[in-house]
Amino acid sequence: MRLSRRSFLKWSGALTATASLATLGGQEFLSLQRAKAAAAQKAVTEGYEIKYTADVMCPAECGLEMWVKDGRLAKIYGNKAAPLNYGGACAKGVAGTQLVYSPERLKYPLIREGARGEGKFRKASWDEAIDYIAKKLLDIKKKYGPEAVIMDSGDVTDRDQYWRLFFAYGTPHCTEHGSICDTPRRHGPKLMLGGKRIEPDVMRPVLVRQPDGSLKQDFSYKTRLIIYVGWNPFVATRIIYENRGTLGAKVENGCKVVVVDPAQSNTAAQADLWLPIRPGTDNDLFAAMLRYILENDNPRDPNRRYIDWDFVKKHSEGWDEFRNAFVSWWSKVDPINGLNYFTLDWAANRTGLPKEQIAELAHLFGSTKPAALVWGMQSPGHHYNGYVGSILGTALNAITGNLDIPGGAIDTEIVKSNKGGSATGKQFNKRKVKRVIDGKEVEGEQENLHLDLFGDWPAAWDDAVADYPRRFLEGVTLRYGPFRGHRYPIKGYILRTGNTLITGSNPEVWKKALTAKEADGSYKVDLFVVVDTLYLESALYADVILPEASYAERMSLSDIYPSHPMLFLRDQVIKPLHESKTPTEIMNLLAKRLYDLGDPDIKPGDFWEKYRTQEDFVDEMLKAAPGRPNVGQPLPYPNLPEAYVLYGTPDSLEAGRVTIDDKKKEVRGEPVTVAWLRKHQGVVVWPMSWYRYRKFDEKTGEFVPNGVWPPTKTKKVEFHFYGYDGYNKKIDEAKEVPPGLQKVGFDRYPSTFYWFETNWNPYTNPKFKEYAKEYPFQLIVGRVHHAMTATQMVPWLGQVASEGLWMPLNREFEHEIVDPDPKAGGELKAVRKRFRPGTWSVGTILMNIQDGQKLGLKTGDLVEVSNPPGHKTRGQVFLSQAIRPGVIKMGFATGGRFSPGLGATYKQKDYTPNHSELVDPTSLSPVMGFPSYADMVVKVTKV
Amino acid sequence: MAEGKPKGKRYAMVIDLRRCVGCMSCQVTCKMENNVPFDFFRSKVLITERGTYPDVKRRFLPVLCNHCEESPCVQVCPVGASYRREDGVVLVDQDKCIGCGYCVEACPYDARYVNPFTGLADKCTFCQPRIDSGLEPACVHNCMGQARIFGDLNDPNSAVAKLVSSNSVQTLKGNLGTEPHVFYISADLVTLDRKEGK
Repeated sequence: MRLSRRSFLKWSGALTATASLATLGGQEFLSLQRAKAAAAQKAVTEGYEIKYTADVMCPAECGLEMWVKDGRLAKIYGNKAAPLNYGGACAKGVAGTQLVYSPERLKYPLIREGARGEGKFRKASWDEAIDYIAKKLLDIKKKYGPEAVIMDSGDVTDRDQYWRLFFAYGTPHCTEHGSICDTPRRHGPKLMLGGKRIEPDVMRPVLVRQPDGSLKQDFSYKTRLIIYVGWNPFVATRIIYENRGTLGAKVENGCKVVVVDPAQSNTAAQADLWLPIRPGTDNDLFAAMLRYILENDNPRDPNRRYIDWDFVKKHSEGWDEFRNAFVSWWSKVDPINGLNYFTLDWAANRTGLPKEQIAELAHLFGSTKPAALVWGMQSPGHHYNGYVGSILGTALNAITGNLDIPGGAIDTEIVKSNKGGSATGKQFNKRKVKRVIDGKEVEGEQENLHLDLFGDWPAAWDDAVADYPRRFLEGVTLRYGPFRGHRYPIKGYILRTGNTLITGSNPEVWKKALTAKEADGSYKVDLFVVVDTLYLESALYADVILPEASYAERMSLSDIYPSHPMLFLRDQVIKPLHESKTPTEIMNLLAKRLYDLGDPDIKPGDFWEKYRTQEDFVDEMLKAAPGRPNVGQPLPYPNLPEAYVLYGTPDSLEAGRVTIDDKKKEVRGEPVTVAWLRKHQGVVVWPMSWYRYRKFDEKTGEFVPNGVWPPTKTKKVEFHFYGYDGYNKKIDEAKEVPPGLQKVGFDRYPSTFYWFETNWNPYTNPKFKEYAKEYPFQLIVGRVHHAMTATQMVPWLGQVASEGLWMPLNREFEHEIVDPDPKAGGELKAVRKRFRPGTWSVGTILMNIQDGQKLGLKTGDLVEVSNPPGHKTRGQVFLSQAIRPGVIKMGFATGGRFSPGLGATYKQKDYTPNHSELVDPTSLSPVMGFPSYADMVVKVTKV
Repeated sequence: MAEGKPKGKRYAMVIDLRRCVGCMSCQVTCKMENNVPFDFFRSKVLITERGTYPDVKRRFLPVLCNHCEESPCVQVCPVGASYRREDGVVLVDQDKCIGCGYCVEACPYDARYVNPFTGLADKCTFCQPRIDSGLEPACVHNCMGQARIFGDLNDPNSAVAKLVSSNSVQTLKGNLGTEPHVFYISADLVTLDRKEGK
């Protein structure tokens, strides 16, 4: 064969195919290559120091290898010792070098010079900035009490130092972004299991005790069916093992994968079945599935043995009550369609899916075992009534007997390792404090001052951050507990690595609240501090900005959701860049200054004398690990008492180097430490088990509840909602119904199954029917993994596309970016680049191609999107077949970004959409005050 | 294991698209590993959408240098800079390359470019420094779905040899007779000529 130029080639897309019969999984073949690799690693690693650490570019927090050369972070790979990602590292994870060395980073402390929002600052020293903050904090404490300050740690990760400091200072308000993430999604599992996140058992390998007593990595998949509803794990990657695990189960175990989502997500693209449901109707689908299963379950018909009655009878509480409450709706007629609730016809009308498909899905889920029904941020997570869906979803997984069985559904919140412990400083919240209310002195605990839990949102166990703007303007009145009637303003807001201005409901209300002034001209929120690595929109409004060391420059622990207990060390890989400091340093600096200025609540022994280094702090966090009971089959440690809570390293527990406390039912081995982790590739793993709710009773020869897990009141799955008892007690004592409950016509938190409709959905809630004609599109939103609120400035991530939401539709511009310079050995250097049109991804609006054609639109056209409350945003459409007609989708925080700290993304702000601007800020979900991001109707007009 | 003297290696990659999650790790990992300049790629993922709602499918097709046995790029190189090692890895000798761009034109897979910094031809090397140290190429190591598998076709126990012999594998533009050493399982090869949303 002789070829010289392309023009000589016969050009075609044909392929050669080699016939074969067998299908083989890839997993087992990798080991040989890896063994060889380990033996000969020297040459390519020469000159590098390899550090084992954990990511924070996204919430998956994968175990990573970071390769350091001459003190610089040079390369990033997945850590094969970390079972969560098992060597994998995604595009975002490996782009970390460009974030660490980004010219857009905050480099030194800044103090505001202009008005809030103008973004005018002057460089300050750490001493000056810390002094400024400490003096204000003491002033606020003196005038209004420490409860007038909120510490919002934004990022869940590496926040314990800040919480400790502010709990010690005296405020009970230490929160994180979880409250504006997906609380309705987690509600059902929390209420019924004491958990949070139900995920399929597809994390492989798992470390399992063998019959011969040894521990082995098990790579085999058991799952036969996964239904992902509004959950797109290939893109929203917190549960990172669902990438390889979902497809691994599919290829190796013939697992069926169904994705229910109005848009064809990347996960849906690889599923066996994509069901493009109407937005905001996942509850309806779940309710119809449950009704179908209850009506068609037949223990004597092997094809219809849907319900695991043995599990329901032995391991749950209150099923009959739940069932009766559910069935009581069946005869009622839905005003929206005149049909009986939860029937197939009713669900077909609401969801827009054929009734046969709904029946088939219910039958498939009831009859296929093991299976997992998983719902995500984009289904119950972001709807006003998402609680109902997450309760129904939990019930469906439980009654079909799929909870915690091999290949079934695992609530990862209650099987992961504990961490933090007393380092978090929650003990300070128990301090006795006194307040004068109506001239009377009252005593209570610090935590009784909480603005939500004893105020408007008694059930907001993750806080109601989206309601903060209202608190900034109106102040707090406590309704419940010993301090009922106590009023106080919010005068201090400390925001660390979050960007609530963009993500915490509608940006306009945040801007208004942060710039509102008192009569004397001072800002209502007298102190607004931002601690961050990057300069995001919220920082434009700050009084003081402190530069925090990036995740490669500080030490902590991963915050992860695996199927069994494990932790990864986030090691300090390089020294803090510029003038940035680590959370431990910032905590100690501020604590010391408060102490020097006379704050009586700060003690040297609680801070700088106790934690001289980051390692001291992390070692204390590790004392709580794993903190899980020795339960399930196969029992993780057969040498130790069953159902006792375990603490300490796996090797000490294995060898029995432990003390056993029979009274507390605790086993303590040698504590895990940073030093121990460094000797073990930064990873600690304790064994997996399943059926963690039961134990074998020798007397009866049967499995019975073990009385310790799940961590609910009755230690069983609770269909009677004991979890609400505490809130109802508050209502009974104060004789006052929380405002959220009043909105949906409840006078207390229901004791079992309940139902109410979502907001801004004309197809399910008659109240909004009138908007359907003028506002023909439902707006949904999803994460773009490569472009979350604080990573768009990373050049490599602007060169990938995602799901029609983050597409190369840029206009021409110039910007300075970091790019590897081959002449400097590949070191990242700041260089000015011209971005040609169509080469850089920007936030876009995904729209069905038929809808686009009707509106005379083509891909790239600029449109205005507006909603009934009068909010609007602009962006370019991306037309596609892969979304349900009548629905448009935007990415979270990908567009309209107005902080120059966003770098190249900032330059696209005038033609990229900010979904948050269309959020109804008054639509806070009734139980926990969560912003209903995904309930909205809009119209689309060509600009 | 094989007895006696080991046979020479014959490197290949299998991309199992049943396991590809479309995360773009390979595309970015390659840039990180090999200092690929802005706007250029040694490895990337093509995305297509085919069909009409609701019967529509988005597909991913990761592409890179195919390390062909009959390499058009090697044949057109006027100075012998492009060459194929005995183990099958196609490389560019940076000392010999004159940056004429013939190979860039000749490659039927668009896998090569002229590096604007060096002025010389550049492309995927299967991460030659890594594989020569016994490590996997970086994109294989970091692949989130474990869809990329690398190894020695001459070793019957290797993952690639087993996958190639036991699955219906495909190669790109196989009719050209280039004999690629990158194999695909379950690829939708129309992806090569179409783009998402078109």
